[in-house]
Amino acid sequence: MPDKNYKRPKNLDLLHIRLPIGGFVSILHRVTGVLLVLVLPLTFLLLQESLRSPESFTQVVALLGSLPARVLLFFTTILLAHHFLAGVRHLLLDIDAGISHGGARLGAWLVLAGVMAVAMVTAGRLFL
Amino acid sequence: MIPMNFRSSGSAHRGLGEWILQRLSALYLAGFAVWIVVRLMLLAPTDYVAWKAWMADGGVKLAFALFFLSVLVHTWVGMRSVFLDYLKPLWVRTVAQLLLSFGLFALAFWAAQILLVDARA
Repeated sequence: MPDKNYKRPKNLDLLHIRLPIGGFVSILHRVTGVLLVLVLPLTFLLLQESLRSPESFTQVVALLGSLPARVLLFFTTILLAHHFLAGVRHLLLDIDAGISHGGARLGAWLVLAGVMAVAMVTAGRLFL
Repeated sequence: MIPMNFRSSGSAHRGLGEWILQRLSALYLAGFAVWIVVRLMLLAPTDYVAWKAWMADGGVKLAFALFFLSVLVHTWVGMRSVFLDYLKPLWVRTVAQLLLSFGLFALAFWAAQILLVDARA
């Protein structure tokens, strides 16, 4: 008789598995992608308003200078930086560049380091 | 002539086209992102007239048109994979894909309006 109380491990129990660094960067690529889609209509709106008339252009510039807009801009830049760098990593993996175990781990760490660098430069430009 | 033992592969190879579209659009989006960031950081148009004149340029408009096309294609394939992986009940997935289609359709018209009306010289 199999032990009914034995809890079999669930491989997709996200709260219990520890993703390797490559998996972590990869799932973040999905998360940032979905979040960027949500920001997309906002960028369409800002682009359109910036072109519509001199008055609306001034409004867009003033809006982008406000603190809430700069905070949103900061987070959007981080999302974009991660999605861009992790995407480049995936494209390189497609052509077998950095496909080895160590190479893939190094690439994942480089992506995170790159995102940190972009975050610091962006924070400096937006908030200092 | 189709051989007697011909069998349609059905939807078995449909994913390949999407896989390629995802990567082609990714390449364009990556190049566009680098270009737009460098261009706007080095030579940011300072006033409305300069901004409008830049956007009215044929080459810039073409670059933006290809960007809009790529971003819509990239969004379609990417969100579809997310839906296929995480939305289990068929009706939920179908509704999500329907809403996504409508949304992207609306964005396509919006992009056309920006390029043809708002970015006019």
